[in-house]
Amino acid sequence: MAQIYRIALITVGVVAFVLVLAMLPAVIQTAPHQGGLLLNWKGGFSSIRDYFEGLRSGEAFRYLSGRTELSFWEQICPSFKITLFYMGIGALTAMTLGILLGIYVAVSRKEWLKRVLEFTGILPDFLIILVLQFAVVFIYLHTKVLIFEVASTSSDDPAVALPLISAVIIPANYMIRNVALHMSHALADDYINFAKARGMGKRTIVFFHALPNVLPYVKADMHKFMGILFGNLFIVEYLYNLDGVAMLVFSNAYGFEGYQYSLAANGILTLLVLYAIGYAILKLFLYGWEKVLLR
Amino acid sequence: MNKTLLAGLLITLVIVAASLFGRYFAPHDLSEHVEIEYVVDENGKGTLLVPPVPPGAEHPFGTDKAGYDMMAKMLAGSHYTIFLSLAVAFCRVAVGGMLGLLLGTFAKERKTRTNRASVGNLLNGIPMFILVWMILVGISINPSASNLEMALLLAAVLTIVGIPPLVFTMREKTMVEMDKPFVLSAIALGADRWRVIRTHLVPHMKESFAIAFVQEIVLVAGLFGSLAIFDIFVGGTTMNRDPVEYISRTNEWGGLIAQARDHLYARQWLLLIPLAAYVLYILGMHLISVGLEKSYKERFRKVSHV
Repeated sequence: MAQIYRIALITVGVVAFVLVLAMLPAVIQTAPHQGGLLLNWKGGFSSIRDYFEGLRSGEAFRYLSGRTELSFWEQICPSFKITLFYMGIGALTAMTLGILLGIYVAVSRKEWLKRVLEFTGILPDFLIILVLQFAVVFIYLHTKVLIFEVASTSSDDPAVALPLISAVIIPANYMIRNVALHMSHALADDYINFAKARGMGKRTIVFFHALPNVLPYVKADMHKFMGILFGNLFIVEYLYNLDGVAMLVFSNAYGFEGYQYSLAANGILTLLVLYAIGYAILKLFLYGWEKVLLR
Repeated sequence: MNKTLLAGLLITLVIVAASLFGRYFAPHDLSEHVEIEYVVDENGKGTLLVPPVPPGAEHPFGTDKAGYDMMAKMLAGSHYTIFLSLAVAFCRVAVGGMLGLLLGTFAKERKTRTNRASVGNLLNGIPMFILVWMILVGISINPSASNLEMALLLAAVLTIVGIPPLVFTMREKTMVEMDKPFVLSAIALGADRWRVIRTHLVPHMKESFAIAFVQEIVLVAGLFGSLAIFDIFVGGTTMNRDPVEYISRTNEWGGLIAQARDHLYARQWLLLIPLAAYVLYILGMHLISVGLEKSYKERFRKVSHV
């Protein structure tokens, strides 16, 4: 019961946070004549009130794209699918790669590999994506071989492979470093020495003794992992011109008549739903690792 | 001798020196720009000179499409990229680190740790640039405030949103130190908490602070770039309506990269040169952080059994 109560409380808190967050662009403005900052709290709270009234009348689910009025529900479905696709595959692949390669990095003695991982890990995601795009173009210009599409030119002809690679490698890199760090700590513990003294093989020790003690750290770091995955996903959608949810929110937040509170709030709430789905998938996935694979 | 640390310091020193004194040696500054020109050489053959001019003897880094020298632009922007990221990182570590240190030292109940950590964890799930985007998007486009004011405003926002995660990590680190035998015995011998902070924690954690500072610099520089991808530039955005384009007012490096992100096929220098400078800056900081960590670990490491 306490658990349900806690989850309900967190959900309410998060939704309230989103409503306030979406209000910020309406509140923080520049004063029209003298410059300087202006905090328009009245405008902000009235947009929340309008939003709740609009929920009943359906007005909250219409928005302007340029000057065209569109229905939120019609537009969000395809966007939701696109974002779900990249998020789902990104999350699962990055997690699997992260755990397996993390173990490999912890066990291997290749120092250069660790250094390369560390350095690419701190590079911001947009930089890695730009470098990937540039590498593909560079190879194409010199060999006339086009490995991947660099960006979507239209929604009928979307680029898939390169965005997917970008959606995977950045969270995977984080997970690899995280797992490798905790793995190398676990491998230095006494019970490993004991298992080794009892004559167990390296593989058994790594997978059945050390890894179960590393997975709790992975679980504890899931929100951070999801944060990296999502932040990265926004930039992936933007730089590859994919019609996902983030793209819908960011490119239409300012319509012809100025800031659209309801679109921003709805869009961020949709992203939260996606976040919850992604989190649940990963939880289930790790549960599978713990209870099935490592038993 | 710690070669990694030395290499990092060297790279950073060169970049900072270039940013401070580069304008005295640069061939052009931002007041001059290349016009469209028809040049006839001595053989009577004419060529039309249209900016952007590719890199060459006259313009080592080329010019942008309005004809301004890229090297001059980058030198002007470097002040913001480098010194603002340093300032934001310093304020974050100074305030967040100190708060974390105090909270960790004076924390009474250790049992709620898991509970609090989960809320802190949830905060980690929010991509930082979304938060900053929401705060700044209403005021960043065609602002009437000056470049410096806008840059300082962005710096203040970045500092504030960056403090809570640092407080959490520093608090955790401090609590780990507090459980170590030398601190426990000091407390048992009657040292009060302030003395523990002064003579045990601060000397023991100064490397942690230094590493956090350097890592924050990298994070802040990354945020500058991520925000720029979404058209929020350090120092304000100039938006032209016809055609719609977003231009950085300060030429901050993240902004230069974001503005040139479409130049993958042609005029690649517009993208590549700021990109290279930016990576070099991050590399320098990263090497410093790795070097510091290495010297720190050598003193306190455990050995792997496998």
